[in-house]
Amino acid sequence: MIGEISHLLSLSAVLLLSLVLIFNLFFSFNQSHSNQLILSMRLFNQACWLVFISFGIYIYLAISDDFSIAYIANHSNSQLPIFYKVTSIWSAHEGSMFLWIVFLIAWSFLFINALDKNHPLKKPTLLMLSLIILGFLLFLLITSNPFERILPFGAIEGADINPVLQDPALAIHPPMLYLGYVGFVISFSFITAYLFHGDFKLDWEQDIKNWSLVAWIFLTIGIALGSWWAYYELGWGGYWFWDPVENVALMPWLAATAFMHSLFASSKSDVLKTWTMFLGILIFALSLFGAFIVRSGIIDSVHSFANDPERGLYLLSFSGSITLLALSVFAYRLPSLKSSKLVVSGSKESFLSMNNILMITSIFSIFLGVTYPLIIESINGDKVSIGPPYYNTIFAPLILIAAVFIMISVDALWQRSMSLRSLFITMAIPTFLSFVSIYLIWAFASVFSLLAYIGIFSGLLIIFSYINRIINNFFNKKYINKGSAVAHLGLGLLFFAVSMNSIFSYEKNLNLAPGQSISVNESVQEFYFKDIRVFSASNHDVISAEVSLLHDGKEISLNPQKRKYATRGQITSESAIHASFLKDTYLTIGDQLENSSWTFSLKINYFIKWIWFSAALMVLGIFLTIFKKKAS
Amino acid sequence: MNQSLRILIILLPIFILVFFTKILLVDEDLKLSSFEAKNFPAFELDDLNGRSVQSESLNGIKLLNVWASWCITCLVEHPFLTKLSKNNVEIIGLNYKDSKSKANSWLEKHGNPYLFSIYDPRGDLAFDLGVTGAPETYLLIDSKVVGHIQGEMNQQKWETIFMPLIQQATQKK
Repeated sequence: MIGEISHLLSLSAVLLLSLVLIFNLFFSFNQSHSNQLILSMRLFNQACWLVFISFGIYIYLAISDDFSIAYIANHSNSQLPIFYKVTSIWSAHEGSMFLWIVFLIAWSFLFINALDKNHPLKKPTLLMLSLIILGFLLFLLITSNPFERILPFGAIEGADINPVLQDPALAIHPPMLYLGYVGFVISFSFITAYLFHGDFKLDWEQDIKNWSLVAWIFLTIGIALGSWWAYYELGWGGYWFWDPVENVALMPWLAATAFMHSLFASSKSDVLKTWTMFLGILIFALSLFGAFIVRSGIIDSVHSFANDPERGLYLLSFSGSITLLALSVFAYRLPSLKSSKLVVSGSKESFLSMNNILMITSIFSIFLGVTYPLIIESINGDKVSIGPPYYNTIFAPLILIAAVFIMISVDALWQRSMSLRSLFITMAIPTFLSFVSIYLIWAFASVFSLLAYIGIFSGLLIIFSYINRIINNFFNKKYINKGSAVAHLGLGLLFFAVSMNSIFSYEKNLNLAPGQSISVNESVQEFYFKDIRVFSASNHDVISAEVSLLHDGKEISLNPQKRKYATRGQITSESAIHASFLKDTYLTIGDQLENSSWTFSLKINYFIKWIWFSAALMVLGIFLTIFKKKAS
Repeated sequence: MNQSLRILIILLPIFILVFFTKILLVDEDLKLSSFEAKNFPAFELDDLNGRSVQSESLNGIKLLNVWASWCITCLVEHPFLTKLSKNNVEIIGLNYKDSKSKANSWLEKHGNPYLFSIYDPRGDLAFDLGVTGAPETYLLIDSKVVGHIQGEMNQQKWETIFMPLIQQATQKK
C-alpha cells in the first residue's frame, strides 16, 4: 500500500509537469503574464515536492524490508545494516535512475527558486527544466519502474546487495557523480532559454557561474571516488582503466572544465561568449550520452546495467531530441552571437581559448575511442578494443601543449598582449627547473618512456610556474588568484603523479606454499608467507593469508583475503595495502595451485595516493574561487 | 564559413543519433548470438527418490527449475510449469535447501511437473550454478547453460527470453 502511494506521488508529478508545459505552450495570456508564471512556478514546485516525498517513502520501504517490491527484493536483504539498505537503492538500474531524477529535480528546484522572480529568463528556463524532468520521469515509470510489485506474494527474503557494493566509497560515489552530471542541467537549460529569448544584451554568466562550479566539484569528487573505490575495494590494482564508462564520465568533466574557464573569460572580458554557450550545452549533452551508454547495455563494461534495447531507444531519442533542440537554437542564433570584443593575441583569454580547443580535441578523441569499436563492429562484425596505449599516445602531446599554455597564461593579462620579453621571463625558470628535474628522474629511474616523461615534464612546468608565482606574491606582493593557483597546482601534481606512477610502479607474481619465504628483489628483500586460514564470517567464507614483508628495511605484515559470499556465490578479493609517503605496497591473493602453494600478486605503486590528493587540491581550488566570489 | 558551421552543428548530432539507433536495433540479435554458453557444473547428487542423477540426463533442451517447499513464489509459478510440462517441455527440478519428506509431500499435494528433481539439501550445485534464491530457472541445451531467469517464471518471460534462445539453437542444428 505504501509502495502504491509512493508510485502515485511520482505519477502525479508527471501530471503536474505536463500541466506546466501545456499551460505555457498552448495558452499564452500576454496581459496576465506574471500570474501565469506564478501559477507555473507553484505547479512546478509541487511536482518537485511530490517526487521528493515519493523518494523519501521509497527509502522507508527499503529500510523496512518491503520485499514485495521487486527492485528491493532483488537488491537488498533483511540482514544488511540500514546504511546499505539505503545505498542498495542505487546499486542497480531502476533505483539509481530514480536517484538521478531526484537530483535532477533538486538542482532545478533550487535554481529556479533562487532566480529573481522578474528575471526575463525565468519562464523559458522553467519550461526547459520541466520538459527535461518530465521526459526522464516518464522514462523511469514506463521502462524501468522501481515500484513494480511481485504479485501475488512477495519474496520472504531479499536477494542481497552485490558484495563489492558494500563499501562506503560506493555508497557515495554514484550520488556524487550524479549530482555532478545533472548539475549541468542548469547551464544547459539557462543557456537554451537565453538563446530562445533572444535578448543578447542580458548578462547571463553570473547567474549560473557558482552553480556550475559546485556541479564541477561534485563531478570531480564523484570521478575521484570511483577510481579510489576501484583501487581499494575492487582489488583492480589500478586507478584508471580507460573503461568506456570511465570515459563517458571524463568527457563531461573535460567539457565542464573548459566551460568553467571559458565562463571566467566571458564574464571578465566579454569574449568567447559563443564558446561558453556551446560548452554549456555540450556538458549536459555528454552527461546524457553517458547515461545512455551505461543504461542501454550497448557497451560491455563493469559499470553497465542490465541491457534492454527499449530503454536504450527511449533514452537515445529523448536525450537526442533535447540536445538537438538546444543545438538548433544555438545554430539559429549563431550569426547574431558576436562577442563585443575580439580576442587579443597573447592575452590571457587567447591562451584560454587555445586550451578550450585542446579540451574539445581530447573530448573528441575519447569519443572516438569509445565509439570506434562500435563503428568497426557495425561495419564488418570484428571486435576490437581500444585500450590505454591509444589514450596515452593521444593525451601526452595534448597535455604538453596545455601545460605550456597554462604556464604562459599565469603571467598573461586579460585583454592585453604579452611582450616577448615577459614571455621569455615567464617561461625561463619553470622550463629550466623542469628540465633539471627530468634529468634527475631519468638518472635515478634508468627507465625511459617518452610518453611518461612528457607527462612528468608537463606536470612540473605547471607546478614550477605556480610556485614561482606564489614566491613572487610572497616577496613582491604580486597579485595571485589563490583558487586558480591551488587548482592548477593540483592539475600539475596529477600529471606528475600519474606519469611517475607509470614509470616506477611494478608488479610481481609469486607462488609460495605456507611457511615459505623468498626474496623478491633489492627493495623487497623478504616475502614470508606465514600461514593461511579459512573461516566463516556472517554472510561469507573467508580465506585469509598472513604475509610479512621486509620492504626497504621495514617490516610490514599484510593480510590479503578472498571472500565467497553465500547468497550470491560471488567471490571477491580483498587486497591488503600498506601505504607510505611515496608508495603503496599492494598485495592480492590468487588461486591455490595443485601443489598446495598459492599465487600472489605483489604491486608496488608509487605516487598513487598523490593522484587523489591532486584531485582534492583541484576541488579545494574551486572552493576558494566560489568563496572569493561570495566575499567580493 | 558561418553557414557551414551552423549546418555542421546540427548534422553531426543527427548523424551520431542515427548511428546509435542503428546499433541499438542490430545489437539485440547480436547479443543473443554471441551469448557464451557455460558448461553445466559437475556434480554428484541423487534425485528425490534416491537414485543417482546421470549427467547424460541433461542432454537435449531442458529447463532446470530451482524450487523448494518453503518457497512461496515457486507455488505461484507452479501452474505455469505444469502447463509447460503438459506441452512436452522437459523440466528438471533442483530441490534447493529443503528436506526430502517435505519436498515429496509438496509434489504430491500440488502435482509434479518435473521429470525428476535433483535433491540438493546443502545447496552445493546451486552454489556452483550461481543461484541466488528460489525460484530460478535455467535453460540447458546439451548440458550447457544458455539462459537464466531469476524469480517467477511466466508466459511473458518464457516467450521473450527462452523461446528465442530455443529457436536459435534449433535453427543452428
